[in-house]
Amino acid sequence: MTNFDALAARALDTASARGADYADVRFEDGRSERIEVRNGALATLSDETSIGYGIRALRDGAWGFAASSDLSDAGLDETAARAVAIAQAGAAVAARRFAEAPSDRYVAEFATPVIRDPATVPLDRRVALLLDAERALRATPQVRAGRAWIDLWRTDKCFYSTTGSRIAQSILQTGSGLWALAAGEHDAQDRSYPGDVGLYQTGGWEIVEAAALGENAQRIGEEAAALLTAPQCPAGELDLILGSSQVSLQIHESCGHAAELDRVMGWEANFSGTSFLDPAQIGKLRYGSERVTIEIDNLMPRGLATAAYDDEGARSVRSDIVRDGRLAGFEMSRDTARAIGRSTNACVRASSWRSVPMVRMCNLNLVPGDVPFEALFEDVAHGIYMESNRSWSIDDHRLNFQFGCQIGWEIVNGKRGRMVKNPTYGGVTPAFWNACDAIADRDSWVAWGTPNCGKGEPMQTGRTTQAASPARFRNVRIGVGYES
Amino acid sequence: MSPRSLREALAQRVLSLAGRGQLEALVHEESLALTRFTHNAIHQNLAEHDVNVRVRALVDGRTGVAATNDLSDASLAATIARARAIAALAPPDPALPGLAFNDEPAAPPGAYSEATASASPADRAGIAAATIAAAERAGLWAAGYVTTASTGLTIANTAGTLVSFDGTTCGLNVKANGPDASGFAERHGNDVAALDGTALGTLAAQKALAGARPASVAPGAWTVILEPAAFGELISHLTDHFSAQTVDEGSSFLADGLERAYMGPNVTIADDFAHPLLAGCPFDFEGYPTRRLPLVAAGVAKHVVTDAAWAKRLNLANTGHGLPAPSSDGPQARHVVVSGGTKTTEQLIAETAHGLLITRLWYIRSVDRRKTIVTGMTRDGTFEIRDGQLTRAVKNLRFNQSILASLAAPEFSHDQHRTTSYDYQIVVPTAKLPAFHFTSTTDF
Repeated sequence: MTNFDALAARALDTASARGADYADVRFEDGRSERIEVRNGALATLSDETSIGYGIRALRDGAWGFAASSDLSDAGLDETAARAVAIAQAGAAVAARRFAEAPSDRYVAEFATPVIRDPATVPLDRRVALLLDAERALRATPQVRAGRAWIDLWRTDKCFYSTTGSRIAQSILQTGSGLWALAAGEHDAQDRSYPGDVGLYQTGGWEIVEAAALGENAQRIGEEAAALLTAPQCPAGELDLILGSSQVSLQIHESCGHAAELDRVMGWEANFSGTSFLDPAQIGKLRYGSERVTIEIDNLMPRGLATAAYDDEGARSVRSDIVRDGRLAGFEMSRDTARAIGRSTNACVRASSWRSVPMVRMCNLNLVPGDVPFEALFEDVAHGIYMESNRSWSIDDHRLNFQFGCQIGWEIVNGKRGRMVKNPTYGGVTPAFWNACDAIADRDSWVAWGTPNCGKGEPMQTGRTTQAASPARFRNVRIGVGYES
Repeated sequence: MSPRSLREALAQRVLSLAGRGQLEALVHEESLALTRFTHNAIHQNLAEHDVNVRVRALVDGRTGVAATNDLSDASLAATIARARAIAALAPPDPALPGLAFNDEPAAPPGAYSEATASASPADRAGIAAATIAAAERAGLWAAGYVTTASTGLTIANTAGTLVSFDGTTCGLNVKANGPDASGFAERHGNDVAALDGTALGTLAAQKALAGARPASVAPGAWTVILEPAAFGELISHLTDHFSAQTVDEGSSFLADGLERAYMGPNVTIADDFAHPLLAGCPFDFEGYPTRRLPLVAAGVAKHVVTDAAWAKRLNLANTGHGLPAPSSDGPQARHVVVSGGTKTTEQLIAETAHGLLITRLWYIRSVDRRKTIVTGMTRDGTFEIRDGQLTRAVKNLRFNQSILASLAAPEFSHDQHRTTSYDYQIVVPTAKLPAFHFTSTTDF
């Protein structure tokens, strides 16, 4: 990792000299490699590096943030001065203050565990893997488009603050996946694998191997084609079993975002929205059934948001969002936590050096249950099993949602039966989670990473994990959007 | 030297370092500042600046891409070498188009505003303060942002192309919040002088006040009047259907063919970078001049957009809608304009026996792509219309609706507005759409 010590000292000294009450600077040196095959040709084969820094300056209770890729002395001075000037301009507008200077100091290093560095896998072998898998997707004639991809993201970041923190972290995130589009006369159906966006985790080439793209490609193409002639998913109040990646999405949208404390406090009101939650509901609100426990673990192996420290220099801790069905906490920064009398649980991330750090959903997991996956089907008289998200929409308070999956199977008298297309379901967040009466055990628990979580203005793309097992929900409104 | 001259010198330095062989250098520069406020105070306040060089190497029918923001000669040379090394490992693509020479097309008037490019933190804070003050006067709290940005793009290639564009954008977005209602207003353009915090703050506040004590209405089929922010959000989910890629692969509604009537006879949609409300870049990310293109004329589909690769593959003209090549996303219509009608928004309301006036839609997602069925929510001001009058505020609803079906017999206001989100900028009028299908309601 590049040593940024001297550059950081200059940036922080300049910010202090310009009047900052506190300042920090986060240097990031990132490399993104993407290989994507589409319809037999290489659609993307790119290798991008980006280096730069973002400076936060606190002045009179207001933050200013300025980011630049100019690493010269003049660039550092100018950017630091800009951060302070922005803070001053913000402080001048209103008496209300959101920020206080932090006092913690950490000197630490951290790296996400890697079993096999992807750099040891020759590029031509990576390309060949994708060409073979994508070809298998299109073995079925109705498949009109196929995609196969690998993403490798390396980030070396180093955080410094005027309180003396120096935190160096190396993060390696790896992802891969498949997508097939089958088209008929008046219909188009798609399937993706693994899950709905691929398998994204921290780690190395072992994450690509775990995805087993080649072993599953032909099946995925065949399923996309089969959906063209599959019957429409039945509509009505039915039992619902969700595959683990769809449970992951359900946590993400109806719990993860709802429990971001900046939303609760109105900081995202004009864009991402607010939340139906209130800090006064901690320990009181029955968020879900007693089987539902959702916890933050930002140090978990393979979590896409795994880091020992967040992007405002706070140390990762484990904490609860929902414990045994009751609301237990929020995802927080220092400023938001202080507003409700708590301490930060280090849920601050910035999508790159140029982005302002903000409260983000990190690793937020549904604790697995105690029954095997197949046991979920046993006492379902009539229901639908759904896999792989296709559509997700939820209101700006995170209550009324409607989700659709790529594929479903009808369940009749405890048996998984015919394939159905266009499966959708809808509900209201607490009622839905309270209808959860079984969660599969750890054998089917997967750390699903979401590499494309949007939030903030300007929009930042966050990387987050919601580990989950398949789960069962009773009497859910199914077939929404297709009801006659 | 001007930013444009610096970018052009940088692009030419890349070509010079590359020596022989086919190569494209794309230099992108962005300076973006955004001041965000909530509860009548500024809580996020930022400025970002970056210059990025993307190198595309073509070697014997193979492509490799590498990019960097380290602008030293050593870094640029290494980036060129990486792009070529990647290309050497790529399988050959017989359909790969070579690099072409293109002259620089003229930028439309109004694309660049010096006032926007030089706006200071104090300028943005002043607009935010005026917006906030308007909400405070109404006893409400405001959340929103003021943004100013300048973007520079230069593309040079070994076929002789050297094209550059400098543009600015700005925006003010405000949601005024009361105890049980909110109201929204926005203004987006290229010149910061048009951002009037007092006016927009007042408009949002009026909406929020009118939205107090919302009533529940039953879901079902309603006549709706979508204000520009709402209609633009809806139309943004149609733009990808005009890509040659989605048409060829069968996921677009246009897969049934052009020159067919898909919408009502008063629907005309274009892709027009030069529209006065957009005034955007006149060339695409391959340096090819972008055509001002009718997509739908009087309800009949007329054109799809292409890039170099899709034009060659389908034997069509290159319309200049390429993303940085090669792109898995295919060509894209990035400056969509829906033509206005003949009436005012007030007339559209006055002629509605029973319907809903909707300020803003939210979280629209595709349910059935080929049928253009989408779902989403209303937000920030929904009002019931009875006998041509706005009668009361209503709680938010979820819809499931085919966009095409909603455009079978629409009416439009004559005035158009630019509306923007993180992934689109669109010019639309207010739209009156019959039989818009709502499927559930909320408690707020």
